[in-house]
Amino acid sequence: MNPLPALVLLPLMGGVLAWVAGRMRAPINPSTSWWVVLATLSVETLILGMVTFAHRAHAGPWLEHFSMPWIPAMGIAVRLDMDGLSLSLIWLSLILCFLCVFLATRQVTAHAGAFHFLFLATLAGIIGTFLATDLFVFFFFWELMLVPMFVLIAAWGHEDRQRAAMKFFMFTQGSGLLMLLSILGLVMAHDRLTGVLTFDIFTLAQTPLSPALSMLLMLGFFTAFAVKLPVVPVHVWLPDAHTQAPTAASVLLAGILLKTGGYGMIRFNVMLFPDAASRFAPIAMGLGVAGILYGAWLSCAQDDVKRLIAYSSISHMGFVLLGIFSGSAMGMQGAIMQMLAHGLGTAALFVIAGAIQDRLHTRDMNRIGGLWAAMPRLSGMGLFFAVASLGMPGLGNFTGEFLVLLATWHVSPATATLAAIGLVPAAIYALRMVNRIFLAAPRAGLPSLEDFPVRHMAVLGCIMTFLIVLGLYPQPFRTFSVPSPLSVTASQEDHTP
Amino acid sequence: MTGHDVFLPMPLMVVSSGIMVMLAATTWRRSVERSFVGSMVTLVLALAVMGYHTGRMPDTGSSLFIQDWWAGYTAILTIFSSLCILLMAWRDAGHDRTTLVDEYPLLFMLGTLGALAMVFSANYMSFFLGLEILGISLMGLAAFRHRSFMQGCEAAMKYLILSGVSSAILLFGIGLAYGITGSLRFIPPIAAGDMPAALPVAATVMILVGMFFKLSAVPFHMWLPDVMEGAPVPVAAFLAVVSKIAIFASLVRYFGTGNQPPFFDDILSVVITLTILGGNLLALRQTSLIRLLACSSIAHVGYLLIAFLCPGRLQSGAITIYLLAYTASTLGVFATITAFAIHEGPDGTAIMQWKGLFFSRPFLASAMSLMLLSLAGIPPGIGFFAKFEIVATGVEYPRGLLLCVLMIGSIIGLYYYLNIIRMMMTAPSLPSPRQNRHARPELTVLVIVLSMIVVIGGLLPARAIHSLLPAPAGPPAVQDRMVP
Repeated sequence: MNPLPALVLLPLMGGVLAWVAGRMRAPINPSTSWWVVLATLSVETLILGMVTFAHRAHAGPWLEHFSMPWIPAMGIAVRLDMDGLSLSLIWLSLILCFLCVFLATRQVTAHAGAFHFLFLATLAGIIGTFLATDLFVFFFFWELMLVPMFVLIAAWGHEDRQRAAMKFFMFTQGSGLLMLLSILGLVMAHDRLTGVLTFDIFTLAQTPLSPALSMLLMLGFFTAFAVKLPVVPVHVWLPDAHTQAPTAASVLLAGILLKTGGYGMIRFNVMLFPDAASRFAPIAMGLGVAGILYGAWLSCAQDDVKRLIAYSSISHMGFVLLGIFSGSAMGMQGAIMQMLAHGLGTAALFVIAGAIQDRLHTRDMNRIGGLWAAMPRLSGMGLFFAVASLGMPGLGNFTGEFLVLLATWHVSPATATLAAIGLVPAAIYALRMVNRIFLAAPRAGLPSLEDFPVRHMAVLGCIMTFLIVLGLYPQPFRTFSVPSPLSVTASQEDHTP
Repeated sequence: MTGHDVFLPMPLMVVSSGIMVMLAATTWRRSVERSFVGSMVTLVLALAVMGYHTGRMPDTGSSLFIQDWWAGYTAILTIFSSLCILLMAWRDAGHDRTTLVDEYPLLFMLGTLGALAMVFSANYMSFFLGLEILGISLMGLAAFRHRSFMQGCEAAMKYLILSGVSSAILLFGIGLAYGITGSLRFIPPIAAGDMPAALPVAATVMILVGMFFKLSAVPFHMWLPDVMEGAPVPVAAFLAVVSKIAIFASLVRYFGTGNQPPFFDDILSVVITLTILGGNLLALRQTSLIRLLACSSIAHVGYLLIAFLCPGRLQSGAITIYLLAYTASTLGVFATITAFAIHEGPDGTAIMQWKGLFFSRPFLASAMSLMLLSLAGIPPGIGFFAKFEIVATGVEYPRGLLLCVLMIGSIIGLYYYLNIIRMMMTAPSLPSPRQNRHARPELTVLVIVLSMIVVIGGLLPARAIHSLLPAPAGPPAVQDRMVP
């Protein structure tokens, strides 16, 4: 049996089950839906583990392939393929989901069943996005994951949640329409040349395109991914959405949803339109540097913890953009490392910020202070992940940033210098955050606070271990998570109608 | 053409005889319930005899009616929508015995008959008759609430005058066309002999304007929101769905899918741009849900016209699936509104009343959100695939400008649809009084059925794409390459 559709469908089914469990009346325990989610994620991990360590039947770079006709009249089929890149991003998604489940979603008591359903539905959409190799299916999942995320933010978020949710949905959906135009433009161009209507990217990658057209199509894709990543002029939805979302949704947003943007750029910009991407690279790298500096600069000026982390994400994602468009394998690897490390580190930071908010009911750093004495464990974790975020050598972020900077240096030393300057404000905002929240003199009148229990520490400890491994021994991940070229088809027998 | 071999599609026969039986029954003893049951039975029968006909189609193409895939498809949509709307209207009949009488279902049936006549017509005469039957019964329907709701009269009056004006324009165009070709066949006139070249153009434009009036495309749209707001909710649904399907079906039949007159392109491009932008912008600031739906239905007509304007092999599938998506989703929204309405409580026509619905009635709120998302073109609703198909036709033909307009329109549209969902998610300020909802199982079933159509159609749309459009009329035919 092919595991790929199961990977996508399992969270969805588990979500429905969780919803049903959540709506059950007594005597069923109210946290049943939480257990259902845990079970779903465990099974999902099991399947993923089997995919990862199974013996390969064929030698190609693509690990798994699945294909089933969907809408034959349009040449649309459910094509799912898995390579190292998607596999590592799905692993990241699962790890972060476990983090959410253990540390964040249990606190949700209002309509917990619905919350868990939406949570898993978002995960299903994200996994589908990472696996789809049919452009229509990709677009379907791309749009599909917005809806549950919108509801998560709009219904369970903080004070200004609805405006933030609307902004998030409008930005991503609007740019998604541009991508739709590009997808159809590419498909129709292929159709005009060969008379075959297909949405299969392996076939479409062979389409000869005029430089102008390929640039136009690539820009359509780029805009959609740039909004998700986010790249600087279209980042405005991100700080609001991240700040207002409930903790679990913040983790999903920062940890995985942003990565779909980076993933899309790698798979659909650089690999589908290599020429146009290389011509566009100077502008993209400029935008990346702008993002690094601007995000870091704004991050220094924030008083809201979650907002600070959100802006730091913009800065980190600038490195991803820089690496992807640096044009070298090293830059690409750096970008992927950065995505993985940023996903882990920022998710943990959001969890910590959420925990602080749960206890103190504020995110304003002027009103939080000196938590170290009251909550040494939480503060220690906060310190570690803040330091990881500023790019301490030996941790994952450093590997990513270093590789990206090295790759950029070969292309343009000036750009690399500017990007490296962005690391200075990174140190400022990270340390400032640590100082103001954890190390400052304890505020008078702090209520007695409950520190992280041991099991939370264990979960965060796992994340810590991953970051350290990524930082100290990145080589296996570097070779493993390389995206497979589209010129090699996943399967010999192609089911194109 | 003599009486015994008139080509007549069976559904028309069934519906007209059903109406006559209902009229006869009314003279004997009046009963609202019986009328409702009678009309539903008639409609179901009409669905059952779809595809059958009496008489023989004359080879000369001069028959009054025609029967092909396109007519059948739109007729099924029409009858299905009428059935749903009758189910929605049943509620009104249930509790409002002072004002509602059995003319209510009867007028619905007459309207359906008019719509069916338009869908099947292949002749100016039958088309115009159908149009007028539909229009006049709609006028009666729009005024149905006039005793309790003053705007009812206003709505009917507005509809009467504007529909009269547009019918007059249309009739003038038909007259001109007849003068040019000497035939009442339902195809655009082509100049012959020493006729001035402007004459066919004038005739076509007048017919087009008449149709745009009925379709409420933008420069001719101002009546729709007012009329829909003043009319009872099921009648508004009838206006938004049945009458639009009928007129759009006739538009496609009239202009065909082949080569269109040269000026047509420019006129239609301008109208589409105005319709999409105008409809969406008007919808932005509405506080009444019915007005909002009216404006959004204007915008949807604009999207449909894009597919109509882009001949190609994807066109047929796009039009069929978009019609289905629009019908199912719009009916779903209206069904939810009717299910929401509570006797002597909020009737669900103001957006504010929907506040906090996710907390008080989660099933209704979820159904409503699904329908709205489908209208906005978000998966998993069928509207997503429908919009995708429309964009695909636009890209295939290339029509860059219209695609940009469609994108802007969709983003604006998304905003106001999401706004309603947002409103439903806002926690109500005071705990909602537990109204005594009287059980209306038929509405629950209707909402479930429509939701299933929307979701299944969105997940498995392959079956809904067929080449149903009428073969292009006229000698230099561009063949439709699409295979079903």
